[in-house]
Amino acid sequence: MTTELEKDITHMLAEVVEMDEAELWEKRNSRFVEELGVDSMLALEILALLEKKYRIEIPEENLLDLVSLQSTIDFVDQKLKQRVA
Amino acid sequence: MLDYEEVRRLLPQAHPFIFVDRVLDFEAKKRIVCLKNVTGSESYFPGHFPGIAIMPGALIGEAVAQSAALLFVLSEKYPEENNRLFVVGTTRTRFLKPVFPGDTLTITVEVVKLLSSSAMVKGWVEVGGEKVVTTSLALAAIDAAELKAQKRTLGRSPVPQEVSR
Repeated sequence: MTTELEKDITHMLAEVVEMDEAELWEKRNSRFVEELGVDSMLALEILALLEKKYRIEIPEENLLDLVSLQSTIDFVDQKLKQRVA
Repeated sequence: MLDYEEVRRLLPQAHPFIFVDRVLDFEAKKRIVCLKNVTGSESYFPGHFPGIAIMPGALIGEAVAQSAALLFVLSEKYPEENNRLFVVGTTRTRFLKPVFPGDTLTITVEVVKLLSSSAMVKGWVEVGGEKVVTTSLALAAIDAAELKAQKRTLGRSPVPQEVSR
């Protein structure tokens, strides 16, 4: 983990999926549902937390973009950059 | 705003498992305020507890979940045609004060995130203006058939075998 965004999102998601932060970071390309046992309720919780923390709106169709920790970080990063631009 | 008859027509549960008496206020996809009068003749009080009647925290949580289900259903185009069940997926709840017979619960639920078949909400329950429970819930709306398919099969047949004479 190098950037603040990576650290923050890893910390937040590790709490929700009940995993150690270092382990989750190691598995950052693992798929939430198929490999990490995240169900739709946890996915919803992750979505709500991200929206609240970063004050962004994530439409339902974007749920499919949040398949792993890495893709979630990339997605939020892009959203934040769009807001600045 | 909605009386008990309307509440029970909209909820998938039935007596003795309805923990909302009235809907006091409602804003589609945003917020609902419900009321539940707690009486000494509720079915669970003889057991919880024999020496002192206290409403089980899990049932206060159920009252919040049913309020959230009403918010979900009332926000739909045809609330009366809802045939889905609501199940709680995750919950973080704090029980701050006990609830006794004679208390009136004012249950407020606000949407944090609403999707087509699930919702994340935060809620709180007040008695006489004092908070007794705060909670956040994730709920999913699913078909009864889908739930039935998830039933675990038992080791033995649930249907009694015929006895031959």
